[in-house]
Amino acid sequence: MAEIRLEQVRKAYGGVVAVHGVDLTIHDGEFVVFLGPSGCGKSTTLRMIAGLEEVTAGTIRIGPRDVTELEPKDRNIAMVFQNYALYPHKTIYDNLAFGLRMRKMDRAEIDMRVQKAARMLGLEDFLARKPKQLSGGQMQRVALGRALVREPDVFLLDEPLSNLDAKLRVRMREEIARLHQDVGTSMVYVTHDQVEAMTLANRIVIMRDGHVQQIGAPLEVYDRPANLFVAGFIGSPEMNLIEGRVENGHFVAGSLRIALPPGVEASGEITLGIRPEHLALTAEADGVAFTVRVIEQLGAQTLCIGEAGGERLRILIDRVDGWSPGQSIGVRFPAARLHLFAKSSGRRIATAKQ
Amino acid sequence: MSSKTTIYGFLFVGLAVTLALIVAPAVYAVSLSFYQMDSFIGAPKWAGLANYAAVLQAPEFWRALVNGAIYALGSIVFQVVLGIAFALVLNETFPGRNLVRGLSILPYLLPTVVVILTFKWMVDGGIGIVTKAVEAMGLPPINWFESPGAAMASTILVSVWMWTPFVTTCFLAALQTVPQSLYEAARVDGTTAVQRFFHITLPMLKPILTVVVLLRAIWMFNKFDVIWLLTRGGPVGATENLAVLSYRRAFNLFDIGGGAAIATISFALLSVAVLVYFRVFPLEDD
Repeated sequence: MAEIRLEQVRKAYGGVVAVHGVDLTIHDGEFVVFLGPSGCGKSTTLRMIAGLEEVTAGTIRIGPRDVTELEPKDRNIAMVFQNYALYPHKTIYDNLAFGLRMRKMDRAEIDMRVQKAARMLGLEDFLARKPKQLSGGQMQRVALGRALVREPDVFLLDEPLSNLDAKLRVRMREEIARLHQDVGTSMVYVTHDQVEAMTLANRIVIMRDGHVQQIGAPLEVYDRPANLFVAGFIGSPEMNLIEGRVENGHFVAGSLRIALPPGVEASGEITLGIRPEHLALTAEADGVAFTVRVIEQLGAQTLCIGEAGGERLRILIDRVDGWSPGQSIGVRFPAARLHLFAKSSGRRIATAKQ
Repeated sequence: MSSKTTIYGFLFVGLAVTLALIVAPAVYAVSLSFYQMDSFIGAPKWAGLANYAAVLQAPEFWRALVNGAIYALGSIVFQVVLGIAFALVLNETFPGRNLVRGLSILPYLLPTVVVILTFKWMVDGGIGIVTKAVEAMGLPPINWFESPGAAMASTILVSVWMWTPFVTTCFLAALQTVPQSLYEAARVDGTTAVQRFFHITLPMLKPILTVVVLLRAIWMFNKFDVIWLLTRGGPVGATENLAVLSYRRAFNLFDIGGGAAIATISFALLSVAVLVYFRVFPLEDD
């Protein structure tokens, strides 16, 4: 168990910078998710913590130790790979025991740990099998087990669920969450799936083009995205983002005119954001006129895609039946739910309430 | 044409070619071993198993069998060990890797005659570069083709030189299919580079290793051209294997039945060896 500290960690391949100076402290027992689109540097950062990727500049500490120059095996980390990376010619038992044998651990202790991990992950019946004889979900459990038996300072998981089908992914997500609660070891988890990030993380680190965009608890980044990128990346369906300008305490875009909360210090060109689930439908006379173009039934909810004042909007409401495209209705923009971003920098503009 | 006609059409052509070019000559060769013949012109005389009796009683047969085994084993071991070593090197990233990879296959592309002639020039007693080098190091000259041990070594050397590229190419292709993440997982698991070779690389190469060793074994055991061109089986039979002996007996000593009997025994031995080999190293992996 240990705290992990990244100080100005940088990675460059020749002239191409993959990760720009990342500063981050992962607390003991914390579940941190690196989230971002492919090529954002999240996997590279994880691999630098693992020691599989050399650090160009900066320091990585695990607990009190500076591990920047250490081999992976000397860092007391365990890793779960996207393609599981199970040794195909070894049995499940040997796969689990291998790392312990390489560390010259006592046989009885190895057996105890392997059996314990197998019990926790429901693998007792598969110990004599080879990886090829298991399903994807079972292989993923073995990969988790291989990390588990090591009892490391930190678990590093590199997109561990992306090779599984959607249904299994949800189930394994729960298992990983439960595992984290049971063992209480710090976990660093890389994913491009924001739902995984939201559901698993204590804190999310959102990255893009090698830069950290925002670090925060899931609801924090959902409620107060630090910039336009985070606003668009977190939340499903995506936040509505409308470009316009501030005029007399109102946001104006085309024929749209939306009252801003009092005390907003914004002027000139800004981007206004509002989540589809925060738009409220009302009688046509009470709000902005909204014309429905497409209706997506999600089951419990209905997603209406359409136009208001010439701007495209997505509105997520409780299920409604019998609507058809072309329908007109009023929509309100609750002032407390508005997100404002500077158009030039994309940064969030503080509103009085926050 | 219906698909059934097509299938039978292809099947017929394939069967006809196999029958005409493989089965018929083999049956003919085996049948020859039961006759006494000193040329292909005269009428053959039925000899029953006499040719086999004569061949098995001749010490040169047993010597050729042992020679063939030493030659095959020696050249396979070196080809495989060096082949894996070169493949591991060529699998690493270094400047000019593609060029080196391309060049390394060259010896395999050369006709045997060219390789043998080159080797003979290199070890030529007067002008050979190897001879000069040995001289410069102050060592006594090596009698490449006169001393039995050196003659056997030179046949093995030339074979390793010629066919290691083939083995390297096979292993290099296999190495490229090993997922990098296995090595990374093993690094996290605390292995050294040597342990990674024995716990990951070698097991992952096992299927191709099985096939390559089998192919090389068959080819080496039946090898004729290298030995014939290099030593003619000499000195005094020291490098003569069953293939060379069979040829010499049939075409130099005009004992066609005896030569055919040796070839038939060699074929039977090899068939048994291959069957045993597949029993010990089954091709389909568990």
